[in-house]
Amino acid sequence: MTVISMKHVSKNYSRIAALTDLTVKIEENVITGIVGRNGAGKTTLLKMIAGFQKATKGELRVFDENPFRSLLVSANSIYIDDAMSYPGSMKLHELLDEFNRFYANWNEELAVRLMEYFSIPLNSRHRFLSKGKRSTFNAIVGIAARCPLTIFDEPTTGMDTAARNDFYRALLKDYIAFPRTILLSSHYIDEMKDVLEDLLVIHRKRIRYHGSISDLQEAHLSLRGSSEQLSGSTLGKIIVSKTTRGLQEEWIVENDFSDAERAELNRQGITNTTVSLNDAYLALTEQPRGGIDDVFNA
Amino acid sequence: MHDVDGEKPIYIQIADWLENAIIDGTLQVDEKVYSQYQLAELFTINPATAGKGLTILLEAELVYKKRGLGMFVAPDAQEKLRAKRKEQTLLQIVQDLLNEASLLNIGTDELNQIIEKERKQRKGDQT
Repeated sequence: MTVISMKHVSKNYSRIAALTDLTVKIEENVITGIVGRNGAGKTTLLKMIAGFQKATKGELRVFDENPFRSLLVSANSIYIDDAMSYPGSMKLHELLDEFNRFYANWNEELAVRLMEYFSIPLNSRHRFLSKGKRSTFNAIVGIAARCPLTIFDEPTTGMDTAARNDFYRALLKDYIAFPRTILLSSHYIDEMKDVLEDLLVIHRKRIRYHGSISDLQEAHLSLRGSSEQLSGSTLGKIIVSKTTRGLQEEWIVENDFSDAERAELNRQGITNTTVSLNDAYLALTEQPRGGIDDVFNA
Repeated sequence: MHDVDGEKPIYIQIADWLENAIIDGTLQVDEKVYSQYQLAELFTINPATAGKGLTILLEAELVYKKRGLGMFVAPDAQEKLRAKRKEQTLLQIVQDLLNEASLLNIGTDELNQIIEKERKQRKGDQT
């Protein structure tokens, strides 16, 4: 079943385009990572899906409804980011009670156990928590709500490394017990890549990639050797990026190499390996060549 | 710095891990293999990714499916894996070895001597 579907969706803020011509389908019970550089349009996309903002053009459907002012979408989704604001007079346990009233699948016991584990006192107030603890509390709410559509916009901001790892593990365990559609955004693809099935890359206000994380990784190959060697071996191949690494060159190329071609690379002493997911992502979103070095070479 | 081995997709790492368990006998013939959900929990990975890893073993007929019960190690799995490693992994290592040898101007005779010397030392260690 398709949970989110977009056809030629665009979003403008007054006359400035934030997202342009998005067409995508996200299926039920898939965990999708949303990545893109600063200002690429991730938050705008997530807020539109949650129904907080209205698409300027195109057709956006969530649970087969326009999410803007939809009670169905509101009741079946939760949007978590680092700007969650709660009534200042309420203690955390009172907030949990309210979530319990609102979200049909809310698991109070899980919420309380996670609060204990992360040492967040039920009696404290949200605004008195540290930045990391505030994010952790928000993340706990996102997990315990068990919403059919769960959206986390940079949930780990401010969390320390241990808390981040614990968050992703808690999310994954609860997802296995109670599958749901999850959208996760982060600046750090590496910290969330293991729990993802799919990746949606937003670049320059458009969708640059949507598909499985392994397909993206395997679509590229990293070659290392001298630039003469590499030029000779990449005739007719599509070169995505070229970087100087010490005395060697590293070229990331589109991977349409056959086994025989790769064996030939080995024979010539050209190191050829699958790229990391992060490098594949960077190859898609970085300036075509040179990158930051060009700024200093002017 | 970049890892020289690059980074294998997670589902391949899962398949490798299971294959190693079969080669070294941790998983015996006809023994039940971890389910995709067990693997997902074990390694904190997406169950779909774990499932993809299992599919590699299934397609290579290293495991077989019993309906409703899960997957089990095929009788000839260990044998198949040994042959595969010989053709792929060992060949890759030999290619790396020859690249390094040519870089160091080491000829075939000298290379053979090094291998023979190392082999003798290992035999010595074992007795």
